[in-house]
Amino acid sequence: MLELDLEVVRDGFALEVQLSLGPGPTALVGPNGAGKSTLLRAILGAVPVRRGRIVLDGHVLLDTDRGISVPTEERRVAWVPQEYALFPHLTVQENVAFGVPGPAGHARADALIGQLGLEALRSRRPGALSGGERQKVALARALATEPRALLLDEPLAALDADTREATRTLLAESLHRLAIPSMVVTHEMRDVLALQGSVVLLEGGRVRSTGTLDLFRAAPPSEFARSLVTRAIGSV
Amino acid sequence: MLVVLAVPLLALVLSTPPGDLVAGLRHPLALSALRLSLLTTTTSLALTLLLGTPLAWWMARHPGPAERVAATIVQLPIVVPPAVSGLALLLAFGRRGLLGPALEQAGWALPFTTAAVVLAELFVAAPFYIQSAAATFRRLDEDLLWAARSLGAGPARRFFRVVLPLSRPGIVTGAALSWARALGEFGATLMFAGNLQGRTQTLPLAIYSALETDLRPAKALSILLVAVALAVLGILGRGTVLEAVRARA
Repeated sequence: MLELDLEVVRDGFALEVQLSLGPGPTALVGPNGAGKSTLLRAILGAVPVRRGRIVLDGHVLLDTDRGISVPTEERRVAWVPQEYALFPHLTVQENVAFGVPGPAGHARADALIGQLGLEALRSRRPGALSGGERQKVALARALATEPRALLLDEPLAALDADTREATRTLLAESLHRLAIPSMVVTHEMRDVLALQGSVVLLEGGRVRSTGTLDLFRAAPPSEFARSLVTRAIGSV
Repeated sequence: MLVVLAVPLLALVLSTPPGDLVAGLRHPLALSALRLSLLTTTTSLALTLLLGTPLAWWMARHPGPAERVAATIVQLPIVVPPAVSGLALLLAFGRRGLLGPALEQAGWALPFTTAAVVLAELFVAAPFYIQSAAATFRRLDEDLLWAARSLGAGPARRFFRVVLPLSRPGIVTGAALSWARALGEFGATLMFAGNLQGRTQTLPLAIYSALETDLRPAKALSILLVAVALAVLGILGRGTVLEAVRARA
């Protein structure tokens, strides 16, 4: 369970979010500039939070009232940014094993490399990978550390249409299997549909709605949500 | 213009037959200067890397008024005439200098020692490295560092596994430039460390001294320094020195 009560002010933009996420994927949607990436970075600890609390599985990661702020490296919150931020000088194997030094960690990294079908690429560097392959490596690297929560910032946006279709299913399956709170920022209703989780709509730095996918589709809570749903119907 | 630039170097090479070159390099003056220059420039480079890297990292990560002051201090030795640097070093670390009495009490008398040569080289050459390293660090993709943190990597692991390998070209360029500057250092060394054979007489000072006695070691050592300069340009790659610093950063 990931519980958030956050107030972030950054470059004149204010983000105020109260949310509670259970295990499994949650799609985070909203127009550009709604604060989706900022929210992810705030949970990660990469953006200063003016006031608030973050509690993950009973562990307090942040509590500004009590002066608690667990450093990012100890939060056990995995983060996959838009361009994946793979280490360009390390091989696939080294990237995946980065967060898990030692033989046990390497064994886990190897297992993930196998599960995601990356064996043939293990000694390649990110520069020699396709977009879909990079996405898988980033996911494997994040999962290797056995995080308590997973934050994915538009994980499919950098992929071409065909790869996106294939990766979408794989990603949704992985996130359901993991059974940890995972937040996926997306602009695509197709991603939201594939994730089959709850949907959080963020607009102007505030949570406009939160609920099930069915509810989101049946009664889109804003003009943006309506256009998102309609666009998806139009494209099917 | 090209003639003006090329002819002096050509004259140097043409006036030195291979026999003179070998004899010059074997001259006792040349050998001791070569040994001393290697010792002092290696030491000053090691100190530059050790002390300059944290400073460059701090400058890159903490932009603001304090960093701007630090950047100015770092740039000054590059533009200040070496003679001024030598005088400033004397006034700081000389027996009657700002820190001289304190150093003397601690049993350290710097001026006219090999340590003074190292300090002079450090003063004039470290800024080249610090500037290049800071520029490289500034260009690092911030997301890579956050990704490393999210994977549990603490400061040391982030620095040695992510920052240093990705900054290697800029660091090598800066180190090469800095070392070359230290190797050629003359004015500040002469004023602060003197010109004592075997103790403070580095290659440029030996060339200067040899002019008065035997020209062969002077020419041989000059050709050696030109060869070293060419090798440094080789490390920097095509283009100008400034371009290389920017490109590698």
